[in-house]
Amino acid sequence: MNLGGLGGFDIVVIGVVLLIILVLFAGIKTVPQGYRYTVERFGRYTRTLEPGLNILTPFIERIGVRMNVMEQVLDIPTQEVITKDNASVSADAVAFYQVLNPAQAAYQISNLQNAIQNLTMTNIRSVMGSMDLDELLSNREVINERLLRVVDEAVGPWGIKVTRVEIKDIQPPADLVESMGRQMKAEREKRAQILEAEGSRSAQILRAEGAKQAAVLEAEGKREAAYREAEARERLAEAEAKATQSVSQAIAAGDVQAINYFVAQKYIEALAAIGKAPNSKIVLMPLEASSVIGSLGGIGAIAKEVFGDGSGPAAPPRPSAGPRPQPGPRTTPVLNPFNPNSSET
Amino acid sequence: MLHDAVVNLGPWSWWILGVVLLCAELAAPGVFLIWIGAAAIVIGVLSLALWDAAFWTWHVQLLLFAVLSGAFALAGRRFYSNRNQATDEPNLNRRGESLVGRTATLHEPIAEGRGRIRLDDTWWSVMGPDLPAGTQVKVVAASGRDLTVEAA
Repeated sequence: MNLGGLGGFDIVVIGVVLLIILVLFAGIKTVPQGYRYTVERFGRYTRTLEPGLNILTPFIERIGVRMNVMEQVLDIPTQEVITKDNASVSADAVAFYQVLNPAQAAYQISNLQNAIQNLTMTNIRSVMGSMDLDELLSNREVINERLLRVVDEAVGPWGIKVTRVEIKDIQPPADLVESMGRQMKAEREKRAQILEAEGSRSAQILRAEGAKQAAVLEAEGKREAAYREAEARERLAEAEAKATQSVSQAIAAGDVQAINYFVAQKYIEALAAIGKAPNSKIVLMPLEASSVIGSLGGIGAIAKEVFGDGSGPAAPPRPSAGPRPQPGPRTTPVLNPFNPNSSET
Repeated sequence: MLHDAVVNLGPWSWWILGVVLLCAELAAPGVFLIWIGAAAIVIGVLSLALWDAAFWTWHVQLLLFAVLSGAFALAGRRFYSNRNQATDEPNLNRRGESLVGRTATLHEPIAEGRGRIRLDDTWWSVMGPDLPAGTQVKVVAASGRDLTVEAA
């Protein structure tokens, strides 16, 4: 048969060239950064290719697994978790892992992502199941750290490092959320009411204290005033006593007519006061005319004595020497019985 | 038909092949087509001079092309592997190795050769001589997940 006019030698040449090209294709491998390729010799792992240009031995070596060694994110799907106090919450998470040993990651575990995902899910269940709901909601840091510790240790033999496990969302059932809201509200209301009661209590105490102090001060004022009043009365009495004494001394030393003078003066003053009263046109004289006359008689007696009649009835002899032109009031000590100080001469 | 085309184009068929291969290399970089493309260009250059020579049959041209492709690939690999060392991020994607030289506080004591430190916000299990917790340690070697530390 004629293959386009080619002989056997021609076909061999074409075959050899094709073979060389194919061998080059199979033997030259470029590994991009961020990946590692494992090399298998007759199906058995021998080495790992680093990023860059690599050459495999044709026919006996081939690429096994193309392993991504960049850090990768793995979503952990939502799942139901029963907490220690029997609340059913749904939680999801996110895990970050990186392949640190490509050969182990390639051959120690099959379906790497699925393995990490399941491992994390079961550990979320066990870690969260050992906590109360309140702890769960407030201690995410603790959960994350415990998860990371457990999961990272578990993936150790696979040449992987789990660098981070984060709980994304913890969702308690709706009715529980509602009652938690009510609880918080009630707690705040309780605090508000306590604060209000405390406020009004201290206000009342302050008010009562104020009233007490006012009453005490008032009583003290009254007491002081009474003391002073008593003192004043004492002083008054003392003064009166002294005045009386002075008058009686004066009488004893002088003439009994001095009394008459006083009485008459007072009487006339009183009459004048009645007469000056501005609101009364009619002056009532509730006085016995005789007594007025009597007092006038007293005045006359004084005058007689002063002006040297000497025959005044009931006038005791005076030790004064001879008649003098001065009027009586000058020589007689003028005493205001209400002003004891004026008696000092 | 292909034979007729090659005969009609003469030495330029090698040039055409070389340029097409180089273009393909640019479109889909794999650092492989560039070598056989270069080999095709070299054959084209030789063909311009030797096309009428008696020994310059197509068998010779094809074989020479295949050999040159292999030779260029090997030479290129040597060239590239020397260049490869000149990266400014030698520890890219080598998380453990990038920690060599860092110091940290031992969180859990090293007992029976195993302890724990915290670095870059994650936990690392470390190997080294027995040390109490709280010791300052320095990472001296790393291989994958395994960090070796000693007291700093």
